[in-house]
Amino acid sequence: MKKLQLLLNLVCIFTVSVGFSQTLISGRVTDAKHNPIAGANVYIQGSYDGGTSDDSGVFSFKTTETGVQTLIVSFLSYETYSETAHISAFQDVDIKLREDVNALDAVVLSAGTFSAGDNSKVNALSSLDVVTTASAMGDFVGALQTLPGTTTVAEDGRLFVRGGEADETQIFIDGIRVFTPYTPTTNNVPSRGRYSPFLFDGITFSTGGYSAEYGQALSSVLLLNTIDEPEQNKTDIGIMSVGGALGHTKKWEKSALSVNGSYMNLGPYIKLFPGRNDWDKPFQSFSGEAVYRRQFSKGLFKLYTAYEFSQFELTLEDIDYEDGIHYKLNNKNTYVNSSYQGKLNANWSVFAGASYTNNNSDVDVIDDAVDNIEHSVHAKARLKYRFNNRFKLNFGTEYFLTHFNEKYSSPSIDTESYGFDNNIAAAFTEADVIFTKQLALKAGLRAEYSQLFKAFEVAPRVSLAYKTSAKSQLSLAYGSFYQNPNNDILKFSQNIDSEETSHYILNYQFNVEGRLFRAETYYKDYNNLIKYDTEYASYTSNFNNDGYGYAKGIDLFWRDNVSLRNFEYWVSYSYLDTERDYKNYPTKAQPNFANAHNLSVVGKYWVEDWKSQIGFSYSLASGRTYTNPNETGFLNQKTKTYNNLSLNWAYLMSPQKILYVAVSNALDFKNVNGYQYASTPNSNGVYNRRALKPAADQFFFIGFFWTISDNGTDNQLDNL
Amino acid sequence: MKHLILLVVSLVSLVANAQTNFETGMQKAFALWQDNKVTEAEQLFERIAAAETDQWLPNYYVAQINSLKSWGEQDATVLKANLDKAQEYLNTAKGISTNNADILVLQAQVYTNWVAFDGMTYGMKYSGKITELYNKAYAIAPENPMVVLGKAEWGMGSAKYFGQDTAPFCKDIAHALELFVNFKPESPFHPKWGEDRAKQVLASCEE
Repeated sequence: MKKLQLLLNLVCIFTVSVGFSQTLISGRVTDAKHNPIAGANVYIQGSYDGGTSDDSGVFSFKTTETGVQTLIVSFLSYETYSETAHISAFQDVDIKLREDVNALDAVVLSAGTFSAGDNSKVNALSSLDVVTTASAMGDFVGALQTLPGTTTVAEDGRLFVRGGEADETQIFIDGIRVFTPYTPTTNNVPSRGRYSPFLFDGITFSTGGYSAEYGQALSSVLLLNTIDEPEQNKTDIGIMSVGGALGHTKKWEKSALSVNGSYMNLGPYIKLFPGRNDWDKPFQSFSGEAVYRRQFSKGLFKLYTAYEFSQFELTLEDIDYEDGIHYKLNNKNTYVNSSYQGKLNANWSVFAGASYTNNNSDVDVIDDAVDNIEHSVHAKARLKYRFNNRFKLNFGTEYFLTHFNEKYSSPSIDTESYGFDNNIAAAFTEADVIFTKQLALKAGLRAEYSQLFKAFEVAPRVSLAYKTSAKSQLSLAYGSFYQNPNNDILKFSQNIDSEETSHYILNYQFNVEGRLFRAETYYKDYNNLIKYDTEYASYTSNFNNDGYGYAKGIDLFWRDNVSLRNFEYWVSYSYLDTERDYKNYPTKAQPNFANAHNLSVVGKYWVEDWKSQIGFSYSLASGRTYTNPNETGFLNQKTKTYNNLSLNWAYLMSPQKILYVAVSNALDFKNVNGYQYASTPNSNGVYNRRALKPAADQFFFIGFFWTISDNGTDNQLDNL
Repeated sequence: MKHLILLVVSLVSLVANAQTNFETGMQKAFALWQDNKVTEAEQLFERIAAAETDQWLPNYYVAQINSLKSWGEQDATVLKANLDKAQEYLNTAKGISTNNADILVLQAQVYTNWVAFDGMTYGMKYSGKITELYNKAYAIAPENPMVVLGKAEWGMGSAKYFGQDTAPFCKDIAHALELFVNFKPESPFHPKWGEDRAKQVLASCEE
């Protein structure tokens, strides 16, 4: 018996060894230009048999595999090659590897777009920059205002892009529209974004020529992506000179919930630094946010919800009213946004999301009361099909619904009630074609149907990028964009049409490690802008779409993180030439929110010994237009140049405690945003005027931020 | 009876053969690595990983080699590609073996390399995660010297940075050294590294 076993064992071993008859595999690996590729891994799939190509691209190895097999050749930043054939065919094979078009050094479609975040290939700003820019004061919109293409409209705070009005820029969270992104303020205090910057880890700011997926925006889109997965359980406490904030994040195996609430009250601050406004009830707000994320095996679900209540009451200075104008505002805003993004299989992926906005605002001006309610919904579904690395197709559909109602009451007239429903259905499709690592194209088409206007519009978009050298590239973009007039027009007239613009953009980008230079020139052609024949848009106005305009200019951007140790800076310059004839303009003119020159310099210096980041940001803006009725002409004068130097200091006291101090306009420049002229001349026939100055020339901020977490290293530096 | 024996024997030899294959392959890869033929070793690990879809170890070593490669790399594009490749193989390893302290430690190291490469960009993003990974690994394998060493070294780095006392971490490193003495990896191919590093760090403690 034992003998038999031994024999069998021997037989087995013998058979095994005999089975290893060997075949020689050989060949050469090159790139598309026949240059040899050294160090490629060449092997038979499923076996350990393989070899490495040498300096001349030549490889050879022996294999014991037989029959039909698959030969695999892989090399970093090239597409993996595979070929299935009989083993005997793999001799002296010539293998050409194709460059991986998704590699880091491949061309990117960059015309018009700035990306912030850690995931994109070329970043103008990192996510941290958005919150550590001195002039931003913790507002994500503030940081974007240091990028070229934006105009400094200091008293407003919103984004004015390339000669466009603020409402020509639309903001999207996780691909879904935000209808009321800014907190309400008085007309000499800049408004801020409603949403706290630490919720987002990716920001794409497009100043023109954007994808067909985005509509109802004439000038610009700002895309914010919420964090997919928070790092850990933690509690954040913030104590600030203007209020307090409390947040908590809880993580489970597949899901996470973050909640935060904050209360702001400018009262104590105004007691110390009264400023120019005569407050009856200083600005106060309560806001709460919650984000829930859940990971599924093939996708991610996110639910974001925010509520904000804000109010203030003051007496506004006015040239025509000696006692000023009493103004009171209460605003309640609810926003819910949910989305699902997932893979269906290797080639199909799906996105679906919807948002609901409820904005309720009560304004009292002297004896008049204006109360309005907006309900808005945006729903979107998008499918993406990936043919291969080089060709992808995107298509989807979306629906916008806005129901707006306003009540106007005044002692002199009965209460008036008016409103509208602005519903828009749209479909879009877009193809991404990457011809080579040097040449890429995105071409799309967007179709919209406005139920209000019973009008159908088609908007083509195309952008092309060509890599001119290893470090530089040229991009071109063209697009046609439609947008329905805003609520302030639609509430008085629905017998009009959408406004339209076309963008033509040429972009050059030079990017070496740690340094980025961009130059972009553009032309924008506006048509069908809304015109009316009264001083303000009202229900007595006659509206039409006869307005038009143009904007052209050059945007320059330079960023350097490496030349000086621990010092990062960027410089933006924009030149803008724009005129339009819209609203109640008697003629074509440069609108008062646009100016010719804007310069921003932002620097951040990390002082290792002090555990501190010290930052500054300087902005210079040439004068803006205003009408002086004492002289002939319309928008016939310009204000003096605007200057602002802001400073900030973040001190890391311990891994979890941060002290943050910031001051805006440190050099106390006396800026003037414009002039208000009396509606009637005085006894000498002269129209008196009043300078429109900011509520306060300077603003100080002190905050202490403390994070309590499981492990004791996380902090809120990224919240600032 | 004869048939049964024959069957058993063939099965045993088949299994033995399969194991031998994996073992020979891994041994060969380690030998190449020892001979400083890092690319060849890496590629053999890659081939083993591709063939043995239920083994996390070859994936682990591809990741580790790429993580180590990034250290001396001057070209940022190559460095990023190395770390991306390390991450890709780590992801595969995680899919094969969940709650594995060795994989968690390597993940922490890959993140640490990102932080070392560009602290401004990745410091905020990964610091919290690195601590969390070491804590998780420690909860799974408190006796694993690589876990204890990694956790202590990371803690020491932040303590030094904030001018806090590093003595408790030196104690942990001494403890890691004790653990190395009796540490028996599950198989000859399971990770066992860091003893020299621990000695080095401890020596710096005693200066």
